[in-house]
Amino acid sequence: MVNHKIEVRNLAIAYGGKQALGNVTLEVYENEIFGIIGPANSGKTSFLNAVNRMDMMRPNMDVTGTIRINGLDTRSWRNVYDLRRKIGVVFPLPVGLPLTVYDNVALAPRMAGTAGSKNNLDELVERCLRRAALWDEVKDRLNHLGSLLSGGQQQRLTIARALSQSPEILMLDEFSIAVDPVTTMRIEDVLKELKSEMTIILVTNLVQQANRLADRTAFFLNGECVEIGDTESLFNGDAKDARTNDYIGGKFG
Amino acid sequence: MFEATGINQQNDQTQKRFKMLFGVMMVILIIPVIIIIGTLIYKGGPSISWSFIFDHPTNGMTQGGIFPALFGTVWLVVVSLLASVPLGVAAAIYLSEYAPDNLLTRLINLATINLAGVPSIVHALFGVGAFVVFFRFGTSILAASLTLAIMTLPVVIVSSWEALQSVPRSFREACWNMGATRWQTIWNVVLPNAYTGILTGVILQVSRAAGETAPIMFTGAAMFLPFLPNSVFDQTMALALHLFVVATQVPDVPESLPFGVALVLVGIVLIMNFFAIWIRMRLRGKKKW
Repeated sequence: MVNHKIEVRNLAIAYGGKQALGNVTLEVYENEIFGIIGPANSGKTSFLNAVNRMDMMRPNMDVTGTIRINGLDTRSWRNVYDLRRKIGVVFPLPVGLPLTVYDNVALAPRMAGTAGSKNNLDELVERCLRRAALWDEVKDRLNHLGSLLSGGQQQRLTIARALSQSPEILMLDEFSIAVDPVTTMRIEDVLKELKSEMTIILVTNLVQQANRLADRTAFFLNGECVEIGDTESLFNGDAKDARTNDYIGGKFG
Repeated sequence: MFEATGINQQNDQTQKRFKMLFGVMMVILIIPVIIIIGTLIYKGGPSISWSFIFDHPTNGMTQGGIFPALFGTVWLVVVSLLASVPLGVAAAIYLSEYAPDNLLTRLINLATINLAGVPSIVHALFGVGAFVVFFRFGTSILAASLTLAIMTLPVVIVSSWEALQSVPRSFREACWNMGATRWQTIWNVVLPNAYTGILTGVILQVSRAAGETAPIMFTGAAMFLPFLPNSVFDQTMALALHLFVVATQVPDVPESLPFGVALVLVGIVLIMNFFAIWIRMRLRGKKKW
């Protein structure tokens, strides 16, 4: 029996009364890479924002339905900050905060009060940067500004930062949009390794990326979850919905 | 193959013409500044001396130095900044980071901007009513400084608000997603990147607070005092008022004296500004994106 890390029931998201995503029911299993594909405006990013309760920061975003993580309704978590610490997020465009490379990674543990001793933090920063495949490139300039690294490096820095609190869930939102193909492949290798330690939700607009990485894939279209299935069967033409076949086959999108 | 064709040459001409135009504008704007500073130095320069700056005025203010006025102006500016900067920045943080984007917030923003356009004499009367009479500070440095603070607050708020708004939203989102509270995000990410913009607003207000006469005239500045103030509850002399007095109210003042006072006033504002600019440059060196 697979463990359900995230359970979503009848999720609907609206912005100021205008529905962006509706009637989503799905499970994400522990230690899998769950791919979400779909064209722009299909509600993929809204889905991620609902999972870590960013709707609290957006006054016009309304979320209905339930999302359970580890069996607990995210809305019953008293401490949303604790919830968000369990979830690492990587954005489409790299966000190197204008802090040093070191501080970029150390910021979250420091704010959470879990930084510990200097040695401890040094180790943590090195470990995160190594896992994000960035350590060798920045180990000599940890006190340089993170925001002055190249785009691809900044994206790996963002991943290192997301890993700094040992999250149980890692959510990546079209991480390869501003990254060159070589870096993309390196990050994809990183994700394959991380899978053994955490659950990964990979939102991507590259259908082939989902095919390469995801164990299961969901197809979102116009605010609706059209289909969820094993990536292999979806890509072998076993999709039940014709729209999924068309999208994967490159007929639109 | 790469020779300029007709349209390219035309574009090139236009571009040169605009560059000229902007250059000429710049020169026109800088001429008055040069004339003013030049006149001040030419006419007031000779009266500047060690004793002019560090002595008290004598002979009905027609001779001697200006130290009490200089001292008073520094006091007024510093106390008013101590009041207006924390208040203004706090208000800007609330408006930019916490307040919901609704009609009330927009009205407050609009009101703040309008308040910046209120003539300083109106602020002066408000200061008399509020600080001198109602709070019973009397005519004192405190009352005058708070009046100056009220006058400078709107610009401090607006420029701080703009500085905060110019920090990319993605920085905030990244921070929130790490499990940071709003305040942690403001403290660790937003404020450090807004300091330079906030300081720009403060720099502008230093000059304004030092140069205004009306708001302090009824609230705490005296034409002449034989002693330096002992506390913020004493009255004080101030450079701007002193300049007004020696230029218009006192007979038989040597011509170089008012120019000397003006030169010192401009000088003290420049020194305070350079100090703020220096801080800003140091901060800017550290923060880049």
